[in-house]
Amino acid sequence: MGEERQVMIETVDLHKYFKDHHVLKGINAKVFKGEVVAIIGPSGAGKSTFLRCINRLEEPSSGKILIEGVDITSPRVDINKIRSEIGFVFQSYNLFPHLTAIENIKLAPVHVRKIPEKEAEQRGLELLKKVGLEEKAHAYPDQLSGGQQQRVAIARALAMQPHMVFFDEPTSALDPEMIREVLDVMQNLAAEGMTMIVVSHELGFIRAAASRVLVLADGCIIEEGTPNELFNSPKHPRTKEFLSKIL
Amino acid sequence: METKNNKAKKQNCIEKASWRERYGHWPWYRKYEFVLVSLLVLIGIGFALPRPGLPETLSQWLFIVFYFLLFLIWAGLILTDVEKPNWIKAIGAVLILFLFAWLFYRYSGAQWDKLGYAFFNWKVLSETGSYGSTVTGWAELFQGLLMTLEIAILAAIFGTLLGLLLAVFRSLNDPILNAFIIIWVDFFRAMPIIVLMMIIYYAMPYLNITLSSAVSGILALSLNSSAYISEIFRAGIESIHHNQVEAARSLGLTTMQTMRLVILPQAMRVVMPPLTSNYVAMLKDTAICSSIAIMELLKTAITLQAWKANPTPLVAATIIYLIILLPLARFSTVLENRMKRKGITRTVRRQPKAVEV
Repeated sequence: MGEERQVMIETVDLHKYFKDHHVLKGINAKVFKGEVVAIIGPSGAGKSTFLRCINRLEEPSSGKILIEGVDITSPRVDINKIRSEIGFVFQSYNLFPHLTAIENIKLAPVHVRKIPEKEAEQRGLELLKKVGLEEKAHAYPDQLSGGQQQRVAIARALAMQPHMVFFDEPTSALDPEMIREVLDVMQNLAAEGMTMIVVSHELGFIRAAASRVLVLADGCIIEEGTPNELFNSPKHPRTKEFLSKIL
Repeated sequence: METKNNKAKKQNCIEKASWRERYGHWPWYRKYEFVLVSLLVLIGIGFALPRPGLPETLSQWLFIVFYFLLFLIWAGLILTDVEKPNWIKAIGAVLILFLFAWLFYRYSGAQWDKLGYAFFNWKVLSETGSYGSTVTGWAELFQGLLMTLEIAILAAIFGTLLGLLLAVFRSLNDPILNAFIIIWVDFFRAMPIIVLMMIIYYAMPYLNITLSSAVSGILALSLNSSAYISEIFRAGIESIHHNQVEAARSLGLTTMQTMRLVILPQAMRVVMPPLTSNYVAMLKDTAICSSIAIMELLKTAITLQAWKANPTPLVAATIIYLIILLPLARFSTVLENRMKRKGITRTVRRQPKAVEV
């Protein structure tokens, strides 16, 4: 303890194949408690796959994934228990369309954590307040705008009181004027000390909130550093090329 | 003020201008004067039609046929006109149907009185029913109806539960389990219900499995409908996008919780219309139970027919079937239409664009 920060996530030589397509080519990464790690990189680099492998939405082909010291690739691990400690926010929100916002949020706490309905509702309303949507508690997802849906999705992930939250391109399906409201919520979350991995190309957000940036290309981490280092003086030629395209 | 109003009205007019006004096409045969005069002429010609009874000469036949054709053309001119108000079209349609019925009644040479005596002899049903019965034929038919409904409802419940179970197992995508389910579904879909029922009722006793006729009937119908219903549920489950599963699993829900809390409630909306029409089909199929001597509606009617030597009970049974099935069939269509409307809003809903830089 003390100065040594707790390692939340560690991947050791992580490989992923889709049939014979080699998507992840041995990724070694560490995420410490309270860190906000941004992952950037060109399309098809394996960013989303990497993120989805960490909570086994995709089964990794080989390698180790340690979450708070537990190797989750081991068959003895109850993956549902691990997943309930990891919030996941999707690009396409993936709210449950047959449930209202508040029902979306309390579904998992009630059925996974077995929290009483009333208490879950109370906490769900608090979370909705936190993302600025308390008046939309009883709206169905298709009555909400994209930005609102994504904020509900974040609240839904937080309702499980996860130890870490993954964001898989949370703003790339949104209209430009809605991106801000989602990023604000994420920034507040980062300020509260939540451990986060964010796949995103919102450079403003990364500069403001990220403690570290990983650059993924062709299934490998080609460069990493603080946002300032990386954006101001990228070293790897592919990073330079990529940044010149999105800046 | 007034001019403004007029302008607004004109604007309105232009927007709602009739097809005719926009294209200036108003052929003579579409004009109301022609429609009315030609109808009067046609009615006038009607007085020259031959006397009732089967026509004797070819010219009489031709006259009747051409008269009907002329009327058909007249009605066609109205019905194919986009501009005519609906009530006029309705009158045209009713007139042509009425004319057809009238011509048939007049010239077919049918023996209406005998037909009425044989098939619509309601007296037969208000007497006491079949041999040894103390109640009227109507009461017996009612009891038959209750039996039919009992069989249908029980078979629907068992068939649905079994079908749901099969569909849920199917969604696990286990190759061996899938093979069994596919064989089950194909077998019971291919097997005629009547054969299945006969096997269960007449052959199974030799395997020392003796079931009462009612149980055999219910079992055969349940097995048959379980195959269809499992396919319906499977389609419903597969129609739910995979990202719903991912969202549920990422929250830590188990496979079965995901199925119960996320997939099935959504699939239910998709499944309702085909499920209802499947129930309609099954309610009709209960008539097959008459082949193993279950006293349901059809068997009761057949027994009464034999006892009274008159087919009126069959007609009565037909009418009872229709009274029950027509609203159900309508209901399933209404559900389907509602589903379609919902489907449209579903697809219009903001679909995430896969934007990557």
